Amino acid sequence: MGSMEWTAESLEARILEIVRDDILSVDQSFSVESDLIAAGLESMGVTQLMLAIEESTGVWVDESLLTPANLASVRSLAACVHEQLAGS
Amino acid sequence: MSSSPVVDAIPLTGADCMLRAFDREARRYHGASHASQLVLRLGAGLDRQRLRGLVEGLVADAPIVGASIRRPWLGLPVYDLREPSAPRLREHRVAPRRGMPGAFIEAMNETFDARRGELLRFDLVSYEDGSSDLALTWLHMLLDGSGSESFVKALADKANGARDRIGLAVGGEAETDLSFRDRGLRAREWQRFLGGFADHPTASPAGRLQRVPQRSRYRVLTLTRDETARATETAAAKAGFLTPVMFYMAVALRAHHALMAARGTVPPSYVVPLPVNIRPRGGEDAVFRTHVSMLWFQVRSDAVGDFDALLAELKRQRQEMIKRGLVDSGRCAIDFARYMPAFLFDRMVRSTLGGELCSFFFAFTGTFLDGVSEFCGAPIENGFHVPAVLPSPGSCVAMSVFAGRLNLTHVYQAGAVEESESEQLVESARRELLA
Repeated sequence: MGSMEWTAESLEARILEIVRDDILSVDQSFSVESDLIAAGLESMGVTQLMLAIEESTGVWVDESLLTPANLASVRSLAACVHEQLAGS
Repeated sequence: MSSSPVVDAIPLTGADCMLRAFDREARRYHGASHASQLVLRLGAGLDRQRLRGLVEGLVADAPIVGASIRRPWLGLPVYDLREPSAPRLREHRVAPRRGMPGAFIEAMNETFDARRGELLRFDLVSYEDGSSDLALTWLHMLLDGSGSESFVKALADKANGARDRIGLAVGGEAETDLSFRDRGLRAREWQRFLGGFADHPTASPAGRLQRVPQRSRYRVLTLTRDETARATETAAAKAGFLTPVMFYMAVALRAHHALMAARGTVPPSYVVPLPVNIRPRGGEDAVFRTHVSMLWFQVRSDAVGDFDALLAELKRQRQEMIKRGLVDSGRCAIDFARYMPAFLFDRMVRSTLGGELCSFFFAFTGTFLDGVSEFCGAPIENGFHVPAVLPSPGSCVAMSVFAGRLNLTHVYQAGAVEESESEQLVESARRELLA
Protein backbone atom coordinates (compact mmCIF):
# COMPACT_ATOMS: atom_id res chain seq x y z
CA MET A 1 0.00 0.00 0.00
CA GLY A 2 1.47 3.40 -0.96
CA SER A 3 1.88 6.17 1.58
CA MET A 4 -0.81 8.37 -0.02
CA GLU A 5 -3.47 5.78 0.71
CA TRP A 6 -3.07 5.91 4.47
CA THR A 7 -5.42 7.95 6.59
CA ALA A 8 -5.03 8.46 10.33
CA GLU A 9 -7.94 6.04 10.85
CA SER A 10 -6.62 3.28 8.59
CA LEU A 11 -3.20 3.62 10.22
CA GLU A 12 -4.76 3.29 13.65
CA ALA A 13 -6.53 0.12 12.58
CA ARG A 14 -3.38 -1.38 11.04
CA ILE A 15 -1.18 -0.53 14.04
CA LEU A 16 -3.78 -1.91 16.43
CA GLU A 17 -3.82 -5.15 14.43
CA ILE A 18 -0.01 -5.44 14.54
CA VAL A 19 0.12 -4.69 18.25
CA ARG A 20 -2.60 -7.21 19.08
CA ASP A 21 -1.40 -10.00 16.79
CA ASP A 22 2.38 -9.76 16.92
CA ILE A 23 3.73 -7.49 19.61
CA LEU A 24 1.79 -7.63 22.87
CA SER A 25 -0.25 -10.17 24.79
CA VAL A 26 -3.47 -8.20 25.08
CA ASP A 27 -7.13 -9.12 24.98
CA GLN A 28 -9.93 -7.67 22.87
CA SER A 29 -10.51 -4.86 25.35
CA PHE A 30 -7.20 -3.31 24.22
CA SER A 31 -8.16 -0.34 22.06
CA VAL A 32 -6.54 2.49 20.14
CA GLU A 33 -6.66 4.52 23.33
CA SER A 34 -5.08 1.92 25.63
CA ASP A 35 -1.70 2.67 27.17
CA LEU A 36 1.00 0.89 25.14
CA ILE A 37 3.68 1.10 27.82
CA ALA A 38 1.39 -0.15 30.56
CA ALA A 39 0.45 -3.04 28.26
CA GLY A 40 4.09 -4.12 28.14
CA LEU A 41 5.67 -2.44 25.12
CA GLU A 42 9.45 -2.49 25.65
CA SER A 43 12.65 -1.95 23.70
CA MET A 44 12.52 -5.07 21.52
CA GLY A 45 8.78 -4.76 20.94
CA VAL A 46 8.93 -1.13 19.88
CA THR A 47 11.56 -1.89 17.23
CA GLN A 48 9.55 -4.88 15.97
CA LEU A 49 6.51 -2.60 15.83
CA MET A 50 8.38 0.04 13.85
CA LEU A 51 9.67 -2.61 11.44
CA ALA A 52 6.13 -3.93 10.92
CA ILE A 53 4.86 -0.39 10.33
CA GLU A 54 7.66 0.17 7.84
CA GLU A 55 6.68 -3.02 6.03
CA SER A 56 3.09 -1.79 5.78
CA THR A 57 3.68 1.87 4.98
CA GLY A 58 7.19 2.05 3.59
CA VAL A 59 8.17 4.67 6.17
CA TRP A 60 10.68 4.14 8.97
CA VAL A 61 10.03 6.13 12.12
CA ASP A 62 13.28 6.61 13.97
CA GLU A 63 13.18 5.56 17.63
CA SER A 64 14.28 9.04 18.67
CA LEU A 65 10.85 10.31 17.58
CA LEU A 66 9.13 7.84 19.85
CA THR A 67 8.58 10.04 22.86
CA PRO A 68 6.38 9.03 25.81
CA ALA A 69 3.63 11.19 24.31
CA ASN A 70 3.86 9.50 20.90
CA LEU A 71 3.80 6.06 22.53
CA ALA A 72 0.95 6.84 24.90
CA SER A 73 -1.49 4.88 22.72
CA VAL A 74 -2.01 3.40 19.26
CA ARG A 75 -3.88 6.60 18.40
CA SER A 76 -0.98 8.91 19.28
CA LEU A 77 1.50 6.60 17.56
CA ALA A 78 -0.64 6.53 14.42
CA ALA A 79 -0.69 10.33 14.43
CA CYS A 80 3.12 10.36 14.66
CA VAL A 81 3.46 7.86 11.80
CA HIS A 82 0.92 9.78 9.74
CA GLU A 83 2.94 12.94 10.19
CA GLN A 84 6.04 11.10 8.95
CA LEU A 85 4.12 9.77 5.98
CA ALA A 86 2.91 13.24 5.09
CA GLY A 87 6.47 14.52 5.19
CA SER A 88 7.98 11.67 3.19
CA MET B 1 -6.30 -27.41 47.75
CA SER B 2 -3.90 -27.96 44.87
CA SER B 3 -0.31 -29.01 45.22
CA SER B 4 2.60 -28.64 42.81
CA PRO B 5 4.02 -31.81 41.33
CA VAL B 6 7.30 -32.89 42.91
CA VAL B 7 10.18 -32.06 40.58
CA ASP B 8 13.65 -33.46 41.22
CA ALA B 9 15.44 -32.11 38.14
CA ILE B 10 15.13 -28.99 36.01
CA PRO B 11 16.93 -28.74 32.67
CA LEU B 12 19.43 -25.97 32.08
CA THR B 13 18.40 -23.53 29.35
CA GLY B 14 20.64 -23.10 26.30
CA ALA B 15 21.92 -19.82 27.77
CA ASP B 16 22.68 -21.62 31.05
CA CYS B 17 24.78 -24.11 29.12
CA MET B 18 26.61 -21.34 27.25
CA LEU B 19 27.46 -19.77 30.62
CA ARG B 20 28.44 -23.18 31.95
CA ALA B 21 30.95 -23.37 29.09
CA PHE B 22 32.34 -19.98 30.14
CA ASP B 23 32.47 -21.20 33.73
CA ARG B 24 34.46 -24.20 32.60
CA GLU B 25 36.85 -21.82 30.83
CA ALA B 26 37.18 -19.67 33.97
CA ARG B 27 37.94 -22.72 36.14
CA ARG B 28 40.30 -24.38 33.69
CA TYR B 29 42.30 -21.37 32.52
CA HIS B 30 41.90 -18.84 35.32
CA GLY B 31 41.32 -20.79 38.54
CA ALA B 32 38.01 -19.12 39.40
CA SER B 33 34.31 -19.16 38.52
CA HIS B 34 32.18 -17.19 36.11
CA ALA B 35 30.30 -15.33 38.84
CA SER B 36 28.14 -12.23 38.82
CA GLN B 37 27.21 -9.99 41.71
CA LEU B 38 24.44 -7.69 42.81
CA VAL B 39 25.29 -5.10 45.46
CA LEU B 40 22.96 -3.31 47.86
CA ARG B 41 24.36 -0.38 49.83
CA LEU B 42 22.14 -0.12 52.89
CA GLY B 43 21.52 2.57 55.48
CA ALA B 44 21.20 1.84 59.18
CA GLY B 45 18.61 -0.57 60.49
CA LEU B 46 19.39 -3.92 58.87
CA ASP B 47 17.78 -6.74 60.83
CA ARG B 48 20.60 -9.30 60.69
CA GLN B 49 18.55 -11.98 62.34
CA ARG B 50 15.86 -11.61 59.70
CA LEU B 51 18.50 -11.79 56.97
CA ARG B 52 19.99 -14.97 58.47
CA GLY B 53 16.51 -16.48 58.63
CA LEU B 54 15.88 -15.58 54.99
CA VAL B 55 19.09 -17.23 53.83
CA GLU B 56 18.50 -20.31 55.99
CA GLY B 57 14.98 -20.70 54.60
CA LEU B 58 16.03 -20.34 50.98
CA VAL B 59 16.64 -23.99 50.18
CA ALA B 60 13.23 -24.99 51.47
CA ASP B 61 11.58 -22.24 49.44
CA ALA B 62 13.58 -22.60 46.25
CA PRO B 63 15.80 -25.72 46.16
CA ILE B 64 17.30 -24.67 42.83
CA VAL B 65 19.55 -22.18 44.70
CA GLY B 66 21.48 -25.16 46.07
CA ALA B 67 20.97 -27.70 43.31
CA SER B 68 23.92 -29.64 41.98
CA ILE B 69 24.46 -29.28 38.26
CA ARG B 70 25.15 -32.49 36.39
CA ARG B 71 24.90 -33.98 32.93
CA PRO B 72 23.39 -37.48 32.92
CA TRP B 73 25.10 -40.04 30.71
CA LEU B 74 22.20 -39.99 28.30
CA GLY B 75 20.61 -36.60 28.60
CA LEU B 76 20.92 -32.86 28.86
CA PRO B 77 22.45 -30.95 31.80
CA VAL B 78 20.09 -30.49 34.74
CA TYR B 79 19.77 -28.82 38.10
CA ASP B 80 19.42 -31.81 40.46
CA LEU B 81 17.09 -30.73 43.27
CA ARG B 82 17.22 -33.90 45.36
CA GLU B 83 19.82 -32.85 47.96
CA PRO B 84 20.24 -29.09 47.70
CA SER B 85 23.01 -27.32 49.61
CA ALA B 86 22.28 -24.31 51.76
CA PRO B 87 23.73 -21.02 50.48
CA ARG B 88 26.19 -19.28 52.79
CA LEU B 89 25.94 -15.88 54.43
CA ARG B 90 29.37 -14.56 55.36
CA GLU B 91 29.45 -11.66 57.77
CA HIS B 92 32.37 -9.24 57.78
CA ARG B 93 32.88 -6.22 59.99
CA VAL B 94 34.84 -3.27 58.66
CA ALA B 95 35.19 0.27 59.96
CA PRO B 96 34.87 2.92 58.71
CA ARG B 97 32.89 2.73 55.45
CA ARG B 98 35.22 3.62 52.61
CA GLY B 99 34.89 2.57 48.97
CA MET B 100 33.76 -0.89 47.90
CA PRO B 101 34.47 -3.69 50.40
CA GLY B 102 37.43 -5.82 49.38
CA ALA B 103 35.42 -8.89 50.41
CA PHE B 104 32.94 -8.21 47.59
CA ILE B 105 35.68 -7.85 45.02
CA GLU B 106 37.37 -11.05 46.16
CA ALA B 107 34.03 -12.89 46.08
CA MET B 108 34.11 -12.41 42.30
CA ASN B 109 37.33 -14.42 42.11
CA GLU B 110 36.38 -17.44 44.17
CA THR B 111 35.44 -20.84 42.88
CA PHE B 112 31.92 -22.22 43.19
CA ASP B 113 31.53 -25.96 43.17
CA ALA B 114 28.43 -26.36 41.02
CA ARG B 115 28.61 -30.14 41.24
CA ARG B 116 28.04 -29.84 45.00
CA GLY B 117 25.24 -27.29 44.68
CA GLU B 118 27.32 -24.25 45.52
CA LEU B 119 25.62 -21.69 43.30
CA LEU B 120 25.27 -18.51 45.32
CA ARG B 121 26.66 -16.71 48.36
CA PHE B 122 25.82 -13.68 50.42
CA ASP B 123 28.43 -11.37 51.90
CA LEU B 124 27.44 -8.78 54.48
CA VAL B 125 29.78 -6.01 55.55
CA SER B 126 28.66 -4.03 58.59
CA TYR B 127 29.96 -0.63 59.66
CA GLU B 128 30.20 1.14 63.00
CA ASP B 129 27.56 3.72 62.05
CA GLY B 130 24.97 0.97 61.62
CA SER B 131 25.01 0.98 57.83
CA SER B 132 25.98 -2.07 55.79
CA ASP B 133 26.68 -3.40 52.31
CA LEU B 134 25.24 -6.68 51.05
CA ALA B 135 26.48 -8.61 48.02
CA LEU B 136 24.77 -11.52 46.36
CA THR B 137 27.35 -13.38 44.25
CA TRP B 138 26.22 -16.28 42.07
CA LEU B 139 27.30 -18.57 39.31
CA HIS B 140 26.07 -16.69 36.29
CA MET B 141 24.12 -19.62 34.89
CA LEU B 142 21.69 -19.58 37.85
CA LEU B 143 20.37 -16.07 37.32
CA ASP B 144 20.50 -13.42 34.62
CA GLY B 145 20.40 -9.73 35.52
CA SER B 146 16.63 -9.53 35.35
CA GLY B 147 16.24 -12.76 37.35
CA SER B 148 18.64 -11.57 40.03
CA GLU B 149 16.54 -8.44 40.57
CA SER B 150 13.34 -10.54 40.76
CA PHE B 151 15.10 -12.77 43.29
CA VAL B 152 16.13 -9.85 45.52
CA LYS B 153 12.63 -8.36 45.23
CA ALA B 154 11.19 -11.69 46.38
CA LEU B 155 13.63 -11.76 49.31
CA ALA B 156 12.69 -8.19 50.25
CA ASP B 157 8.99 -9.06 50.02
CA LYS B 158 9.42 -12.10 52.23
CA ALA B 159 11.45 -10.08 54.72
CA ASN B 160 8.73 -7.46 55.09
CA GLY B 161 5.93 -10.01 55.19
CA ALA B 162 4.48 -9.26 51.76
CA ARG B 163 4.89 -12.91 50.73
CA ASP B 164 5.12 -16.19 52.63
CA ARG B 165 7.76 -17.92 50.54
CA ILE B 166 10.14 -17.25 47.67
CA GLY B 167 8.59 -19.88 45.39
CA LEU B 168 10.17 -21.87 42.62
CA ALA B 169 9.74 -19.49 39.71
CA VAL B 170 12.06 -21.10 37.19
CA GLY B 171 10.14 -19.97 34.10
CA GLY B 172 9.29 -21.88 30.97
CA GLU B 173 11.36 -22.40 27.88
CA ALA B 174 11.37 -19.73 25.19
CA GLU B 175 8.65 -20.80 22.78
CA THR B 176 9.49 -22.09 19.34
CA ASP B 177 7.54 -23.88 16.63
CA LEU B 178 10.71 -24.79 14.77
CA SER B 179 11.79 -28.36 14.15
CA PHE B 180 15.25 -29.50 15.22
CA ARG B 181 16.38 -29.21 11.58
CA ASP B 182 15.07 -25.65 11.24
CA ARG B 183 16.69 -24.68 14.50
CA GLY B 184 19.93 -26.04 13.08
CA LEU B 185 19.51 -23.91 9.97
CA ARG B 186 18.87 -20.83 12.11
CA ALA B 187 21.94 -21.57 14.20
CA ARG B 188 24.05 -21.88 11.05
CA GLU B 189 22.70 -18.58 9.77
CA TRP B 190 23.76 -17.00 13.06
CA GLN B 191 27.20 -18.53 12.77
CA ARG B 192 27.56 -17.25 9.21
CA PHE B 193 26.56 -13.79 10.45
CA LEU B 194 29.20 -13.88 13.17
CA GLY B 195 31.72 -15.40 10.78
CA GLY B 196 31.51 -12.19 8.71
CA PHE B 197 33.06 -10.32 11.63
CA ALA B 198 36.40 -11.99 10.91
CA ASP B 199 36.90 -9.66 7.91
CA HIS B 200 37.69 -6.87 10.39
CA PRO B 201 39.41 -8.51 13.36
CA THR B 202 39.04 -7.15 16.85
CA ALA B 203 41.18 -7.14 19.97
CA SER B 204 39.99 -6.83 23.54
CA PRO B 205 41.94 -5.02 26.27
CA ALA B 206 43.07 -8.44 27.55
CA GLY B 207 43.93 -9.94 24.18
CA ARG B 208 43.26 -13.54 23.20
CA LEU B 209 42.51 -16.30 25.68
CA GLN B 210 45.53 -17.13 27.84
CA ARG B 211 46.13 -19.13 31.00
CA VAL B 212 46.20 -16.30 33.53
CA PRO B 213 44.73 -16.09 37.05
CA GLN B 214 41.35 -14.39 37.21
CA ARG B 215 41.64 -11.09 39.08
CA SER B 216 38.32 -9.28 38.72
CA ARG B 217 38.18 -5.72 40.05
CA TYR B 218 35.52 -3.07 39.71
CA ARG B 219 34.77 0.59 40.25
CA VAL B 220 31.40 2.28 40.33
CA LEU B 221 30.48 5.73 39.09
CA THR B 222 27.21 7.11 40.49
CA LEU B 223 25.80 10.21 38.85
CA THR B 224 23.75 12.72 40.85
CA ARG B 225 20.01 12.91 40.21
CA ASP B 226 20.49 16.09 38.15
CA GLU B 227 23.28 14.51 36.12
CA THR B 228 21.21 11.37 35.61
CA ALA B 229 18.24 13.43 34.45
CA ARG B 230 20.51 15.13 31.94
CA ALA B 231 22.03 11.88 30.67
CA THR B 232 18.62 10.17 30.49
CA GLU B 233 17.16 13.09 28.56
CA THR B 234 20.03 13.02 26.07
CA ALA B 235 19.72 9.24 25.68
CA ALA B 236 15.98 9.47 25.03
CA ALA B 237 16.37 12.34 22.57
CA LYS B 238 19.11 10.63 20.60
CA ALA B 239 18.08 6.98 20.80
CA GLY B 240 14.40 6.92 21.90
CA PHE B 241 13.05 6.65 25.41
CA LEU B 242 12.35 2.92 25.12
CA THR B 243 15.69 2.20 23.46
CA PRO B 244 18.27 4.34 25.31
CA VAL B 245 20.47 1.24 25.41
CA MET B 246 21.98 2.20 22.05
CA PHE B 247 23.10 5.57 23.45
CA TYR B 248 24.72 3.92 26.45
CA MET B 249 26.42 1.33 24.26
CA ALA B 250 27.88 4.12 22.10
CA VAL B 251 29.22 5.76 25.30
CA ALA B 252 30.84 2.49 26.42
CA LEU B 253 32.26 1.82 22.98
CA ARG B 254 33.92 5.22 22.70
CA ALA B 255 35.32 4.89 26.22
CA HIS B 256 36.96 1.60 25.22
CA HIS B 257 38.19 3.14 21.98
CA ALA B 258 39.85 5.89 24.06
CA LEU B 259 41.54 3.22 26.19
CA MET B 260 42.85 1.32 23.15
CA ALA B 261 43.93 4.58 21.44
CA ALA B 262 45.88 5.62 24.57
CA ARG B 263 47.68 2.27 24.37
CA GLY B 264 48.32 2.74 20.66
CA THR B 265 46.63 -0.58 19.91
CA VAL B 266 43.40 0.39 18.13
CA PRO B 267 42.03 -2.77 16.47
CA PRO B 268 40.40 -2.76 13.02
CA SER B 269 36.97 -3.11 14.63
CA TYR B 270 35.05 -3.44 17.88
CA VAL B 271 32.68 -6.35 18.41
CA VAL B 272 30.15 -6.04 21.22
CA PRO B 273 27.40 -8.48 22.23
CA LEU B 274 24.18 -7.16 23.72
CA PRO B 275 22.11 -9.57 25.86
CA VAL B 276 18.41 -9.66 24.95
CA ASN B 277 15.83 -10.84 27.48
CA ILE B 278 13.80 -13.66 25.85
CA ARG B 279 11.54 -14.68 28.72
CA PRO B 280 8.39 -16.03 27.12
CA ARG B 281 5.36 -13.75 27.30
CA GLY B 282 3.78 -14.01 30.71
CA GLY B 283 7.03 -15.35 32.17
CA GLU B 284 8.30 -12.01 33.44
CA ASP B 285 8.32 -13.35 36.98
CA ALA B 286 10.66 -16.20 36.08
CA VAL B 287 13.53 -15.89 38.50
CA PHE B 288 16.00 -18.70 38.01
CA ARG B 289 17.96 -19.89 34.98
CA THR B 290 19.03 -17.50 32.25
CA HIS B 291 16.67 -16.49 29.48
CA VAL B 292 18.75 -14.53 27.00
CA SER B 293 19.73 -14.33 23.37
CA MET B 294 22.38 -11.99 21.99
CA LEU B 295 22.64 -9.31 19.35
CA TRP B 296 26.18 -8.81 18.08
CA PHE B 297 27.43 -5.44 16.86
CA GLN B 298 30.55 -4.73 14.87
CA VAL B 299 31.81 -1.23 14.25
CA ARG B 300 34.97 -0.36 12.35
CA SER B 301 37.37 1.72 14.41
CA ASP B 302 37.36 4.56 11.89
CA ALA B 303 33.58 4.92 12.45
CA VAL B 304 33.87 5.56 16.20
CA GLY B 305 35.11 9.16 16.05
CA ASP B 306 31.76 10.90 15.57
CA PHE B 307 29.26 10.09 18.34
CA ASP B 308 26.09 10.69 16.35
CA ALA B 309 27.37 8.73 13.34
CA LEU B 310 28.35 5.85 15.64
CA LEU B 311 24.93 5.88 17.30
CA ALA B 312 23.22 5.88 13.90
CA GLU B 313 25.31 2.87 12.86
CA LEU B 314 24.49 0.95 16.04
CA LYS B 315 20.78 1.68 15.60
CA ARG B 316 20.94 0.58 11.98
CA GLN B 317 22.62 -2.69 12.91
CA ARG B 318 20.10 -3.37 15.68
CA GLN B 319 17.15 -2.81 13.34
CA GLU B 320 18.74 -5.01 10.69
CA MET B 321 19.40 -7.84 13.14
CA ILE B 322 15.86 -7.73 14.51
CA LYS B 323 14.49 -7.62 10.96
CA ARG B 324 16.54 -10.68 10.00
CA GLY B 325 15.25 -12.56 13.02
CA LEU B 326 18.71 -12.85 14.55
CA VAL B 327 17.37 -12.73 18.10
CA ASP B 328 15.65 -16.03 17.43
CA SER B 329 18.58 -17.38 15.40
CA GLY B 330 20.87 -16.49 18.29
CA ARG B 331 18.62 -18.34 20.68
CA CYS B 332 18.70 -21.40 18.41
CA ALA B 333 22.50 -21.25 18.21
CA ILE B 334 22.90 -20.79 21.96
CA ASP B 335 20.48 -23.67 22.49
CA PHE B 336 23.00 -26.02 20.86
CA ALA B 337 25.17 -25.50 23.94
CA ARG B 338 22.78 -27.93 25.63
CA TYR B 339 23.79 -30.72 23.28
CA MET B 340 27.52 -30.03 22.97
CA PRO B 341 30.26 -30.68 25.51
CA ALA B 342 31.14 -27.39 27.22
CA PHE B 343 34.72 -27.38 25.91
CA LEU B 344 33.54 -27.77 22.32
CA PHE B 345 31.03 -24.92 22.57
CA ASP B 346 33.65 -22.70 24.18
CA ARG B 347 36.18 -23.55 21.44
CA MET B 348 33.60 -22.84 18.76
CA VAL B 349 32.67 -19.38 20.06
CA ARG B 350 36.33 -18.48 20.61
CA SER B 351 37.35 -19.59 17.13
CA THR B 352 35.08 -17.07 15.37
CA LEU B 353 37.25 -14.09 16.34
CA GLY B 354 40.62 -15.83 16.45
CA GLY B 355 40.64 -16.50 20.18
CA GLU B 356 38.82 -13.32 21.21
CA LEU B 357 35.26 -13.53 22.48
CA CYS B 358 34.45 -9.87 21.83
CA SER B 359 35.98 -6.41 22.41
CA PHE B 360 34.24 -5.96 25.78
CA PHE B 361 31.00 -6.87 27.52
CA PHE B 362 28.22 -4.33 27.84
CA ALA B 363 24.86 -4.28 29.59
CA PHE B 364 22.22 -1.67 30.31
CA THR B 365 19.45 -3.06 32.52
CA GLY B 366 17.30 0.04 32.97
CA THR B 367 15.70 0.73 36.33
CA PHE B 368 17.32 -1.33 39.09
CA LEU B 369 14.97 -2.99 41.64
CA ASP B 370 12.05 -0.88 40.52
CA GLY B 371 9.76 -0.19 43.48
CA VAL B 372 12.05 -1.69 46.15
CA SER B 373 13.41 0.82 48.65
CA GLU B 374 14.01 -1.28 51.78
CA PHE B 375 15.71 -4.58 52.56
CA CYS B 376 15.32 -6.37 55.90
CA GLY B 377 14.48 -3.13 57.66
CA ALA B 378 17.26 -1.00 56.14
CA PRO B 379 16.75 1.64 53.45
CA ILE B 380 18.51 0.82 50.17
CA GLU B 381 20.79 3.78 49.51
CA ASN B 382 22.12 2.44 46.22
CA GLY B 383 22.27 -0.79 44.23
CA PHE B 384 23.86 -2.05 41.03
CA HIS B 385 25.04 -5.06 39.03
CA VAL B 386 28.61 -6.33 38.74
CA PRO B 387 28.53 -8.69 35.74
CA ALA B 388 30.95 -11.55 35.26
CA VAL B 389 33.81 -10.81 32.88
CA LEU B 390 36.28 -13.38 31.70
CA PRO B 391 39.98 -12.40 31.66
CA SER B 392 39.59 -12.23 27.92
CA PRO B 393 38.02 -9.73 27.00
CA GLY B 394 38.83 -8.47 30.50
CA SER B 395 36.51 -5.45 30.51
CA CYS B 396 32.80 -4.86 30.97
CA VAL B 397 30.64 -1.77 31.36
CA ALA B 398 27.25 -2.20 33.02
CA MET B 399 24.76 0.57 33.63
CA SER B 400 21.47 0.82 35.49
CA VAL B 401 19.45 3.46 37.31
CA PHE B 402 18.54 3.23 40.99
CA ALA B 403 16.30 5.84 42.64
CA GLY B 404 16.98 8.36 39.88
CA ARG B 405 20.77 7.93 39.88
CA LEU B 406 22.67 6.22 37.11
CA ASN B 407 25.33 3.73 38.15
CA LEU B 408 28.11 2.74 35.79
CA THR B 409 30.11 -0.29 36.90
CA HIS B 410 33.40 -0.99 35.16
CA VAL B 411 34.44 -4.57 35.82
CA TYR B 412 37.95 -5.38 34.66
CA GLN B 413 40.70 -7.92 35.05
CA ALA B 414 43.75 -6.58 36.86
CA GLY B 415 46.73 -7.24 34.62
CA ALA B 416 44.61 -6.89 31.50
CA VAL B 417 43.44 -3.39 32.40
CA GLU B 418 45.42 -1.11 34.72
CA GLU B 419 43.65 0.72 37.52
CA SER B 420 44.58 4.05 35.96
CA GLU B 421 43.09 2.88 32.65
CA SER B 422 39.86 1.95 34.41
CA GLU B 423 39.76 5.40 36.03
CA GLN B 424 40.26 7.02 32.64
CA LEU B 425 37.66 4.81 30.99
CA VAL B 426 35.05 5.72 33.62
CA GLU B 427 35.92 9.41 33.40
CA SER B 428 35.70 9.26 29.62
CA ALA B 429 32.25 7.64 29.85
CA ARG B 430 31.14 10.25 32.38
CA ARG B 431 32.12 13.09 30.06
CA GLU B 432 30.24 11.44 27.20
CA LEU B 433 27.13 10.86 29.32
CA LEU B 434 27.02 14.50 30.32
CA ALA B 435 28.12 16.02 27.00
